[in-house]
Amino acid sequence: MSAIRRRQFLSRLAGIAGAAALEGCGTPAPGRSARPLRISQWPLYIDDRTIPDFQRATGITVRYTQDINDNNEFFAKIEEPLKRGQSIDRDIVVLTDWVAGKMIRRGYLAPLDDARFPNKVNLADYVRDADFDPERRYTVPWFSGMVGIGYDRRRVGRDITSVEDIFDPRFKGRVTMLTEMRDTLGLVMLGMGKDPASCTLDDAQRAAARITQARESGQVRAFTGNDYADDLASGNILIAFAWSGDIQGLRADNPDLQWIAPREGAILFSDNMMIPKTSDRQDLAMAWIDWCYDPAHSAQIVSGAPYISDVKGAGAALAKIAPALAGSELVNPPPELVQRLHVFRTLSDDEEAEFNRVFQRAIGA
Amino acid sequence: MLWLVVFFLVPILALARTSLGAGDAPWWDGYARAFTGYGGFLIRSFRFALTATLIALLLGYPLAYVMAFRAGAGRLRHLLLGLVILPFFTAFLVRTFAWKTILNDGGPVVGLLGWLHLLPMEGRLLNTSWAVIGGLTYNFLPFMILPIYVSLERIDRRLVEAAQDLYSGPGRAFRKVVFPLSLPGVFAGSLLTFIPASGDFINAELLGGPNQSMIGTVIQNQFLQVHDHPLAAALSFVLMALLSIGVMVYARMIGTEELA
Repeated sequence: MSAIRRRQFLSRLAGIAGAAALEGCGTPAPGRSARPLRISQWPLYIDDRTIPDFQRATGITVRYTQDINDNNEFFAKIEEPLKRGQSIDRDIVVLTDWVAGKMIRRGYLAPLDDARFPNKVNLADYVRDADFDPERRYTVPWFSGMVGIGYDRRRVGRDITSVEDIFDPRFKGRVTMLTEMRDTLGLVMLGMGKDPASCTLDDAQRAAARITQARESGQVRAFTGNDYADDLASGNILIAFAWSGDIQGLRADNPDLQWIAPREGAILFSDNMMIPKTSDRQDLAMAWIDWCYDPAHSAQIVSGAPYISDVKGAGAALAKIAPALAGSELVNPPPELVQRLHVFRTLSDDEEAEFNRVFQRAIGA
Repeated sequence: MLWLVVFFLVPILALARTSLGAGDAPWWDGYARAFTGYGGFLIRSFRFALTATLIALLLGYPLAYVMAFRAGAGRLRHLLLGLVILPFFTAFLVRTFAWKTILNDGGPVVGLLGWLHLLPMEGRLLNTSWAVIGGLTYNFLPFMILPIYVSLERIDRRLVEAAQDLYSGPGRAFRKVVFPLSLPGVFAGSLLTFIPASGDFINAELLGGPNQSMIGTVIQNQFLQVHDHPLAAALSFVLMALLSIGVMVYARMIGTEELA
C-alpha cells in the first residue's frame, strides 16, 4: 500500500467534493515558525522521514499538503489567482512537464535562485534541458516515472510485451486506460508506430479513433486515474495502462503483478517542483529544493515512493539503504529501456485544447 | 429575497455570462455545440434517472406506507425512520465507493446473480448501466421515501375508516382514498429523486464505465479537463431548461392545483 495513489485517489472526485482535504502528513514542528514552507504535492509521493529530517536540520517548518490529484484540475484551481497576481498560499507546487511548460509560458513562476541551489550540479543530464524549460531556470524534477502496462501475470497466463495486447479480444471488459490524455494517447500512438515526441493532430485523431472503437466494443472497461490499482489488485481487470511506481507498491499485496515497458516504447514523464511567482517565501522553497537534490536525500525519498530519481548519485545512495529496490528497473531503468522511453511533445495552447477535445470524446466523456 | 439574489441569481447570471463565451465565437456557439454533440448524453442521463426514480418509487412507497400505517406510533416507526436517514451520516462519495467493493467481479453479489443466470450481458455488474442505476436509486431513495411518508402520515385515518364503512375493501380503499391523497408526496419525492439523479456524475464515474457517462460527467469534464467553459455552461443551461420543462409537464399531468 505504499506507493499506490500516484495521481487522483478518487481522481477528480476528491476535488469536486470540495475535499482539498487530503491534508495529511507530518508537521510535528520543533518550535512552529511563523512562516511555514507550504508545499502542494501528489498523494504518496514521499517517504515518511524526509520532512522531519529537513525540519530538524534547517529549523524550517513544512506544511506539506497532498492536494494535487489531477494536473488539469489543479491548474484550473490556481490559475485565476495567479493570473491576478494573488497569492495561492503555496510556495512549491509539483506538476507534470506539460503543465510546468504552461506555467512558465504564462509567467506564473519565479525563477530558481541558483545561488541558493548549489546541489543543482547533481541534476541528471537527461533532464537538464527540457524543451519547455531550457537549462531548468524555473523547474526541476521531483522525480520521473514511466507509463507502460501493468498486468497480472498469473491471471493473464502469458507475458505481455506489446501495446497491441491491450486490444486483444480475449481481455474484453478486463482492460483499463488512463484519463491522463498524454499517457493514454501516447501509448496507443506508440502501438501504431507513431512517436508522441513528434506527433501531429492527425496522429492523435487516429489514435483516438482506435480508443473510441475499443470503448464502444466494450474492450475498455473504464478510463481511470489511480483507481485502476485497486481493480488490478482485486482481479476486476487483467491489463491496464499503468504508472511504473504504482505497481512496485502493489506487488507487496499481489506478487503476480508486473509492470512492463511495451516493446514499442513507453512514456517518460517528470513531475517538477516550481515556485509560484506570488510566493513570499522563495528562500525557504529554495532551501527545500536544494535539500532534495542531495543524492542521499533523494534516495531517501525514492525509498518510500519507487520512481526514478533525477539526482546524480541517488542510485548509489539508494543501494545502501534499500538494495533490493535499487536493482529494480522501475527505479533504475537500464540503458536498453531508457532507449525506448518517449516524452510527449509540448503542445501549444491551441493544440492542447484540440487534442483534449479529441481525447475526451474518445473516452466517452 | 436578498438571499435569493445572492445565492441563486448571482451564480446563475455568472454562469449565463460564461455560457455566452468570450472572444470571437458567436454568442450562441456554446449552445449550438451543446445541442449538436451531446444529445446522446442527455437522453442517457434522463433514461438512467427515470429508471432510478421508478425503482425508488416501487421500493420506497411500500416502506413509507408501512412506516405511516403499520408501524404504530412508537419505537418501530422511529427505528425505520432512523434507518432511512442513517446513510446520510456517511459521505455520499464514501457510500458510493462502498458499492464498488460490494459489486466486485469476484464478490458475492455477482456470484449469486451468475449462479441464477441473471447477470447482464457483460457478465459483470461493475462498470455497467445497472450498477449506475442501482447507485442512483440507492443514493436518492431517502428523498423518495421521506416526502411520501410525510404525506401518508398526514392522511386523516377516519377517511380510510369511512371508505371501509362504505363497503370498500382494503385494496379499493387504498386506490380510491390513500393513494390519491399521497400524490403530493409522490410528486415531491419523484422530483427530489429525478432532478439530482439526472445531473449526477459521481455514480456514473465510480460505478459506470466509459459508455455510461452522464451529462454531469460531460459538464464536469468540460469545465475541469478541457477548460471549455462556454460549452460546459451552455450544457448546464440546457439541462436546467429541459428539467424545468419536464417538471412543468409532470405537474400538469398530476395536477398541482390540488397539491399545494
